Amino acid sequence: MRFLPLIWSGIWRKPGRTVLIFLQATVAFALFGVLQGLKAGVDNAVEEARADLLLVHGRAGLFSFPLPLGLLTRIQALPGVKFADPVELFGGIYQNPSQKIGIVAVRPDPGWLSTFTFQVAPQYAEALRQTRTGTLVRVHLAKKYGWKIGDRIPLQTNLAQKNGSTNWTFDVVGTYTDSDVGGGNDTILVNYDYVDEARATDAGTVQHINVSVTDPKIADTVADAIDRQFANSPNETETSSLRDLAQQQVQSIGDLNFLIRAIVGTVFVALLFATTTMLMQSTRERTPELAILKTLGFSDSTVFVLILAEAIFIFCAAALGGLALATLVFPFAARFVHGVSLPGVTVAIGLAFAALAACASAALPALHAARLRIATALAAQ
Amino acid sequence: MSFIRQFVALLQINLAGLPHRAGSALAIMVGVTCAVGVLVSMLAMGAGSRQQEFGNVRADRVVISSVGDRGMAGNIPRDELAAVQGLPYIRRSSMGEPIIVPEAFVPMQGRRRVTGVRIFFPLIGVGGEIGADESELHITAGRMFRQGLHELAASAPCARQFTGFDIGDHRSIRGTDWTVVGHFEQGKSQVCVVYADVDTLMSAVGQNSYQRISLTLKSPADFAAFRAAVRADPSLHLEVLSEREATEDDFKPLNGLLNFVSYFLGGIMAIAATFGSVNSLYSIVDSRRRELATLRAIGFRSATVIATTLFESILLALPGAFLGCALAWALFEGMSVSPFGYSFHLVVTPSLAALGVVWALAMGLIGGLLPAIHAGRASVAGALRAV
Repeated sequence: MRFLPLIWSGIWRKPGRTVLIFLQATVAFALFGVLQGLKAGVDNAVEEARADLLLVHGRAGLFSFPLPLGLLTRIQALPGVKFADPVELFGGIYQNPSQKIGIVAVRPDPGWLSTFTFQVAPQYAEALRQTRTGTLVRVHLAKKYGWKIGDRIPLQTNLAQKNGSTNWTFDVVGTYTDSDVGGGNDTILVNYDYVDEARATDAGTVQHINVSVTDPKIADTVADAIDRQFANSPNETETSSLRDLAQQQVQSIGDLNFLIRAIVGTVFVALLFATTTMLMQSTRERTPELAILKTLGFSDSTVFVLILAEAIFIFCAAALGGLALATLVFPFAARFVHGVSLPGVTVAIGLAFAALAACASAALPALHAARLRIATALAAQ
Repeated sequence: MSFIRQFVALLQINLAGLPHRAGSALAIMVGVTCAVGVLVSMLAMGAGSRQQEFGNVRADRVVISSVGDRGMAGNIPRDELAAVQGLPYIRRSSMGEPIIVPEAFVPMQGRRRVTGVRIFFPLIGVGGEIGADESELHITAGRMFRQGLHELAASAPCARQFTGFDIGDHRSIRGTDWTVVGHFEQGKSQVCVVYADVDTLMSAVGQNSYQRISLTLKSPADFAAFRAAVRADPSLHLEVLSEREATEDDFKPLNGLLNFVSYFLGGIMAIAATFGSVNSLYSIVDSRRRELATLRAIGFRSATVIATTLFESILLALPGAFLGCALAWALFEGMSVSPFGYSFHLVVTPSLAALGVVWALAMGLIGGLLPAIHAGRASVAGALRAV
């Protein structure tokens, strides 16, 4: 503790130099923070995706081959299945082409909510069940367009009705929220039966079927049972949990970890090199002062620790600054990856990294300082 | 004149002194090398994907989709295809048939050989004589599919990357059984595509319209006239794009993302490297305070000191630029990557290398500015009096 003033004055011996080292390290740690934050966001997305919620779709493609609605009752009858609900997705625009709305048609029978990640108040769920043309709009959307319960919202869609029109009108009967991190924000829920009856083509089919299981532990078994049930039929299915799907999405980004490690590695190599030479230069300039310290009775190891402590202080401050800077970028990065975050463990890793980098770059100069012989050091002056 | 003489003389002194300041000089080079290396490597992804996308693009080829639709989403009824076949300007094969390939896309899934990860790629139903038009396509194993049969021809990259594409493998599409009968290469493309006969495929999946038509014109100069002919026909709801325009449209999001990530990371690394080189240059200038003051005292002007210090900074950044490009090339040239499930080779092109050099020059210039001014404006008397 009593050495603190000494370390402090050592740091500010050449303020310009210290500030530049600090800035360079700050930028390096900001990059580290942003990349780790992205990774954490991606990992989070997988972690939070529900493993007990299954998605059944046609084997050939995710949404391209509709399944007959008849599959629903057969899936419902399988052991371990809590509830199965049909899902039809189509797109529409509200007022102008830039205001896209995702329309999710579901069957709001009792128990349906267990097959989704939606949160719906009971009275709204009931209202949707009672109103054929009803819709629940996402809270965020209701705010965006000022929709209130009782409003009628006309949408232009890509789905034709039997009367030839592609315009659909829904009555707002409530709102909902969705905990799923994937998918768009601008979605509304409508009645599957209404849509299916009114549409011109593909009546009696469904794009996919959401299934909830009675026990999360048996999710894989149930998924296999569903696929086995329809194997070798014209409607072969592929069943995956939401977590499987999230995992696959992540893997399709490619080897994110490799990229992050390579880039962070390069940044730190450059940083270490620059700071080592800088600290080397600095100790050389301070030779007389260090010699005087030793003359006053400071041991070699104390001098070693002093030099090291200066570097550790600068680097840790830079790590904190850089990570703080990274969090400023997060709102922007969140547009690409949901749930970008800086968990405490990343901050700890960053600080540990900072201390390590400080030791690595200051070790040589500190050793040099510790080994100084008083007589030669003073004579060099 | 005297400025140039002074400049050259002072530069020689600067450079002669460099070995004594090897550490600082090396730090600048390493910093610039890393920044340029990362930038060029990242951009090489974009360059590689572009080269692959546009490698097979031909000026005389035209892509037709239905109005408002892009990529695989088109919807072209059979009667409109028949109408297109009657249009002028279309090149004819040696058999006298117009070279028109109607296409239908069906997404298909495969699993990676190594990781078992599922991935989707297009099964493209193609009509007509595909070999006649796609001159860059050649069969490497087996044979082309036959019309009317449930047969598939897969590009060689499919067979390399995914399971289930060896010749003789069976695949089920909506309950019908299809056999892989051949492999082909298509220019340098690393993309997995599978071809089948368009009408057989469409009847198997119960589809009644094509997604896209690609055709070859007699000459690239006919493009405008052909587009006008399609627009003039009120029964056609089709949009004509040159193959280049269509490809550009398809890949805009991917290329935009790759470029953004590259410049973002390259920019941050460059900022870090610039801070580092400012620091190193300050220490170089600092250690020469008395030397520079002496030179100023015997008649060297401060403008010369500033100019030579800047020039020295740029000279120190340049080797880093070349090294960075060389490293990017040595490590990544030709490496196959597949971010977002789409595979291509990395390509370090001369223009990328040039960009890396410009990037390094900028780092040298910006990094050298403050230290150079500092060196030029130091008071002569003060510096000489200092110990």
